[in-house]
Amino acid sequence: MKRVLLAVLVIEVAVFAAAAPNFITAPNLFEVVRLSVELGLIAIALTPVLVTGGIDLSVGALLGLSAIVFGMARQDWNLPVATAMAAALLTGFSGGALNAAIVARLSAPPLIVTLGTLSLFRGIAEGVTHGAVNYSGFPPSFLALGQGYIANLVPMQVPVLVLTAVVFAILLHRSVVGRAWYAIGLNAAGARYAGIPVARRIGLAYLLSGLMAGLAGIIYVAHLGQARADAGTGYELDAITAVVLGGTSVFGGVGSIGGTILGLLVLAVLKNGLSLAALPSESIGILTGTLLVATIALDRVRRIARDVSATKGEGELDVKNSQVAVICAAIIGGSVLVAATNVWLVRSLTTAPTAAAAIATVPARPERVVVAMMPKAKGDPYFVSCRAGAEEAARELGVELIWDGPTSLDAARQNELIEGWITRRVSAIAVAVENRAGISSVLRKARERGIRVLTWDADAEPDARDFFVNQATAEGIGNALTDEAARLLGGTGEFAVITGALTAANQNAWISFIRKRLAEKYPGLRLAMIRPSDDDRDKAFAETQTIMRVAPQVKLVMAISAPAVPGAAEAVRQAGRGGDVRVIGLSLPNINKPYVHDGTVQTVVLWNTANLGYLTVRAAVQVVQGSLAAGATSMDGGRLGRAEIRGSEVILGPPLQFTKQNIDQYDF
Amino acid sequence: MRPRDPLLSAQGVSKSFGAIQALNGVSLDVRAGEVHALVGENGAGKSTLIRVMTGEEAPDSGTLHADGRPVPVLTPATAHGMGIRVVHQQPSLFPDLTVAENLALGVERTHPWQRIDRRARRSRARALLMRVGASIDPDRIVGSLTMPEQQLVEIARALGADARVLILDEPTASLTAPEVDALFDALRRLRRDGVGIVYISHRLGEVLAIADRVTILRDGRTVGTRSIDGLSVRDLVAMMVGELRPDHTRRERASGPVALEVRNLSCAAARIRDVSLTVSQGEVLGVAGLVGSGRTQLAETIFGITPADSGEIVVKGKSVDVRSPVEATRAGIAYVPEDRRRHGVIVDMAVTANATLASLELVSRLGLIGRTAEGDATARFIDALQIKAPSPLAPAAALSGGNQQKVAVARWLMTRPDILILDEPTQGVDVRSKGELHALIDKLAGDGLAVVLISSDIHEVLSISDRIAVMRNGAIAGVLQGAEASQHDVLAMALGTDRIPAEPS
Amino acid sequence: MSKALDFAQDAPLDAARGKPEFAIAVALALLMGVLASVSPAFFSPGNLRDLFVANLPVLIVAIGATFVILTGEIDISCGSMFAVCSVVAGQAAKASDSVGVAMVASVVVGAMLGAMNGMLVAYAGIPSIVVTLASMVALRDGLRWATGGTWVTDLPMSFQWLGMPAVAYPVVAAIVATAALGTGAWVLRDLSAGRAVYAVGSNRSAARLAGLRVDRVRLMVFVIAGLLTALAAVLNSVRFTQIPSNTGLGLEMKVIAAVVVGGAAITGGRGTLRGTALGVLLLGIVGPALTFVGISPYWERALQGAIILTAVGAKAWKR
Repeated sequence: MKRVLLAVLVIEVAVFAAAAPNFITAPNLFEVVRLSVELGLIAIALTPVLVTGGIDLSVGALLGLSAIVFGMARQDWNLPVATAMAAALLTGFSGGALNAAIVARLSAPPLIVTLGTLSLFRGIAEGVTHGAVNYSGFPPSFLALGQGYIANLVPMQVPVLVLTAVVFAILLHRSVVGRAWYAIGLNAAGARYAGIPVARRIGLAYLLSGLMAGLAGIIYVAHLGQARADAGTGYELDAITAVVLGGTSVFGGVGSIGGTILGLLVLAVLKNGLSLAALPSESIGILTGTLLVATIALDRVRRIARDVSATKGEGELDVKNSQVAVICAAIIGGSVLVAATNVWLVRSLTTAPTAAAAIATVPARPERVVVAMMPKAKGDPYFVSCRAGAEEAARELGVELIWDGPTSLDAARQNELIEGWITRRVSAIAVAVENRAGISSVLRKARERGIRVLTWDADAEPDARDFFVNQATAEGIGNALTDEAARLLGGTGEFAVITGALTAANQNAWISFIRKRLAEKYPGLRLAMIRPSDDDRDKAFAETQTIMRVAPQVKLVMAISAPAVPGAAEAVRQAGRGGDVRVIGLSLPNINKPYVHDGTVQTVVLWNTANLGYLTVRAAVQVVQGSLAAGATSMDGGRLGRAEIRGSEVILGPPLQFTKQNIDQYDF
Repeated sequence: MRPRDPLLSAQGVSKSFGAIQALNGVSLDVRAGEVHALVGENGAGKSTLIRVMTGEEAPDSGTLHADGRPVPVLTPATAHGMGIRVVHQQPSLFPDLTVAENLALGVERTHPWQRIDRRARRSRARALLMRVGASIDPDRIVGSLTMPEQQLVEIARALGADARVLILDEPTASLTAPEVDALFDALRRLRRDGVGIVYISHRLGEVLAIADRVTILRDGRTVGTRSIDGLSVRDLVAMMVGELRPDHTRRERASGPVALEVRNLSCAAARIRDVSLTVSQGEVLGVAGLVGSGRTQLAETIFGITPADSGEIVVKGKSVDVRSPVEATRAGIAYVPEDRRRHGVIVDMAVTANATLASLELVSRLGLIGRTAEGDATARFIDALQIKAPSPLAPAAALSGGNQQKVAVARWLMTRPDILILDEPTQGVDVRSKGELHALIDKLAGDGLAVVLISSDIHEVLSISDRIAVMRNGAIAGVLQGAEASQHDVLAMALGTDRIPAEPS
Repeated sequence: MSKALDFAQDAPLDAARGKPEFAIAVALALLMGVLASVSPAFFSPGNLRDLFVANLPVLIVAIGATFVILTGEIDISCGSMFAVCSVVAGQAAKASDSVGVAMVASVVVGAMLGAMNGMLVAYAGIPSIVVTLASMVALRDGLRWATGGTWVTDLPMSFQWLGMPAVAYPVVAAIVATAALGTGAWVLRDLSAGRAVYAVGSNRSAARLAGLRVDRVRLMVFVIAGLLTALAAVLNSVRFTQIPSNTGLGLEMKVIAAVVVGGAAITGGRGTLRGTALGVLLLGIVGPALTFVGISPYWERALQGAIILTAVGAKAWKR
């Protein structure tokens, strides 16, 4: 199986190397590896768990919890970095120990146990931080661990991955413990009869899995420069896929660290290649799921063939051939997709590759300008509306627009995608930043390579980008909302806030400014409570219902997440309290029209999101073409007229307030 | 079908598994309205024959006829359709469902969308249970029943399933006398109804009581099929075992101090009670008894699989607390299990890995396994035990049963135990390997090891053991001196003397 | 994974098992007690009605999940399926201007998606955790791709509340819930097909030997789960006038937790819909209860996890 995987990897690399000249460079390949380190640590530690016939779904959540503990130890308790790291490792260890105790000692099914600990760990992380806290501002010496390079080439965390792989390989393949793990996976009862301490060995596998999640958490924080409760979400699927792809059987008894590494690389290269081909992020999830299912189906065929065939050699050979066939077909199919759908690739093959390290000013390029634009989350209707404006500008200016981003808030994925764009050598990158600290280094790198960088909606560090297209400051938004609430309540009364996901950075910034504004200007106004809605309309609905019951004195609900406003409004309307409970918030016009018209929602504050996207693309193109440079005080905003620039911030304009009078003029 | 055609018959059936010839030209026919017993020592070929007759195995040669008509290919599904039912020793029930449901599933021919008439089911269940003399509440969850109760339910299930040919494999292994009587009444009723019953049992007394005809198998061949009239237990034993060979030329062994002493050992989970015995260094203690008498359970209690509730285990004068196989091994006790494929070797692992599995500390340093050390250690045993394997790294599955057994023995010898318990070591093993294993046991005892040999092969037990402990119903029925014991004595003790009908003169 | 093996080698199981729902009923009673003393406003009829309506989708999906878990499998794709079926219902309603068509379309899609899961599990032999993990991600991402994140708006008037007056909805919901629970329980208890579900989960090889169509059963439970998820999606969607592109997040966790806490064995063969309903009740109350009692809501997820672990651990301890 490993030979097959190696062959697949070579084919993948060859295909992508032919299709994208910069793919095969050492820096890009190392970046591919760097981005996989956290996942790799988890996948490597997951291998023994699967070898024993078990499974651990809590690894991603434990990564998040460990990251939070690290952040708390360092930032809240001011412990030295080394102590904080120890605390994070201890967290991982404890989480693993909990899994070990219940699975190994109590012999409970690992599937449901780790499903439970997944909730528990993630829940503790959310509870402890109130979801809101986002630790950042770590010392550069620590961040170097995740963002720095050795000899300017090898990312710092790669040796950690290599060391872990070596240690686990020795443990699994050469040690007494590893031999026991294989025996247990093949035949747990038989292992027991052979005098193997089965419970102890199984427990150890889960313990190590937890410990590695802790280590991965530390690397994650160093890599992205931030620690949040939602770190590591979804890593379980990718880890299991890598492990299974690498030849480990979910039924136990078969597997290797080398195979896991190969599986990891195959996946990483696939992701990287697909991003380079500008295929949307959603395709990765679908492809990963398909690969996972296909691989296991083949594993089943192999097992059945082995049981049935008298001479073992034949059976295995047959299956290997079909495995190669299927996987190759998938990869080749994907690559054909790459070539067929992307004119750019064909173009780039005919253009001579330029020198890698271009610095400072880039002359106007004769070739097509490519603007790569990234929202915080593709699924958020807010960003969807920005896209419309962006595409309008791209059409007007005759440039190509790549629109891609994580499917949900995911700082790591943002970094990954930007790395891919750097390799692709797009003309400009415009990103709505999810994670200010972590993204800045990769943006700086892009600038070093001659790519223009802009931020929009949420900023990175000023020296990491050329311009920031700003719709409104967090303070401005906070003030606008608070003022509007005060106006509607007549200066006194209680109101509640419904926020989005617990960990949303923007919203937490707004909330802090709201509190500040309250303290400064509206002493008669009281913020009764803040409820999360996870950006889920239905949850906002339920929370509003609860608020109205628990605190009937609340007279205004301020929903600061786009899906939450209609949810809150519906709750107020259904409760028949549209007369005395007001609803305002930050949201999009279309989904609020019915509520604004019937008076449930008084005001929706926003800005013209389409214009934001439009302006951003225009600014990006102008920066690339040289018509917009540092020091300008205004720029040509196309159909928006001239746009003001303050320092390096392009101002969109004042926020819009959608009310009954004007909401029908907008369609997004 | 002519009125006298047997319901099911096998003629000249042969079947081999690799190097082992399990069946060699065996014939058996089952007539309507008869109880046909099938007897033979373990490994004589009974289970293989049954599997051929129920379609689970295809014979290499020979023919099968049902109702006089040839059946070229028999599958479990078609066998089921023909009314052939097997009740195995291990119940195949649904632990989470009630007794009534278990009795209904697979028996009632229900359409999926049919409503269940629970009352009817319950009364049908009660009727079936009464027929087998079991006083079990049909609403009880099967998982909460004891093993004997579960077995009765299994039998009741087969009874209710419109069986035309009913095959019972050791049905009375865990039953008490009144339960056996009730079962026999049920069987007689079935016989009257024209059902053909194949009755496999080691309890020869019962065989004489219930059977009409008996077929004796030995080493994969039919010794003969006789009418039961006029046969005695001794006759049966003689046919099962072959000529009563003149006794076992055995070297006198000098045995040393006591290596293992078991005092009043009881374990409810293993259903053994108040067992006491001793084994000395250089001695071979045979443990005989019928299937279900508790021999394996005793071994597993000593070895820590089912730790004892009370009593003592003393190894070389020191009392040890054995709560798990890990502790047993540390105490110097080694156990080669009865179920080779499930517990003895791990079939997907290499021979070397299997051999060193219980003594990895010996071939590793600082926790890392030394490949050369492992290879050398294994090679020594491959040599000493003459294990035939394609290569030391081949998976155990590639070896014959006999060689797999040798690997299992090698594994435990490598731990350099003080006490070695062998549980049915030569079951399903070819003749040559059998001989080699016997010679090995002899040598080990000669070297001073204390050996416990559990075996259903009376001849084997008699020829090798210095003393023979006979178990019955979870306790020691008695201990015989090897030199003086005869097969008859052992059987008598195993059956309990009241079970053997009086012998002529 | 062979239960037959465990069964044969275990010591006789504890005869005094007692009803597993007893424990959860006690937990519920305790929780109610605390609420009654600290915040009796919780028990106002309006609040109870709202809680019921909000948890109705969870309950209906949990019925399907119970069937799946009874056969010893698991389905963690129900949340994504819920989202897909909601959007399908909305689009169908817009296209055909009829709520009936919307319901049919959604249910058909749900059944098909369930069948896809079921076929991979039953006929390709892939563990259900893997199949449903893959479909969970694939469906969610595929939906995002297809909708671009936009909501389904401008639904026909007949869509909200199924075209009935708003006050009628809770009644209709209660009827549907009772019917679903009742039918499900009846099938599981009184129909041969239902008992086959238990048999397959209890001892798959014995079920095969007994002549049951094991693969068919395993396929059907996933189809049922898909159908019920679609039904839940439609019932939930008609509470509003728009359909977001991203509903049902975290639904699978709530559903599985409810089933397991309600006493079903994750390995199959044991469990009742009565227990599932109690589980939904317990877990549905926990969140709002925290608010009413004044505890920070951010601990809800941790509490969910703790409840699951307690239920699983306690069961394992008893064995």
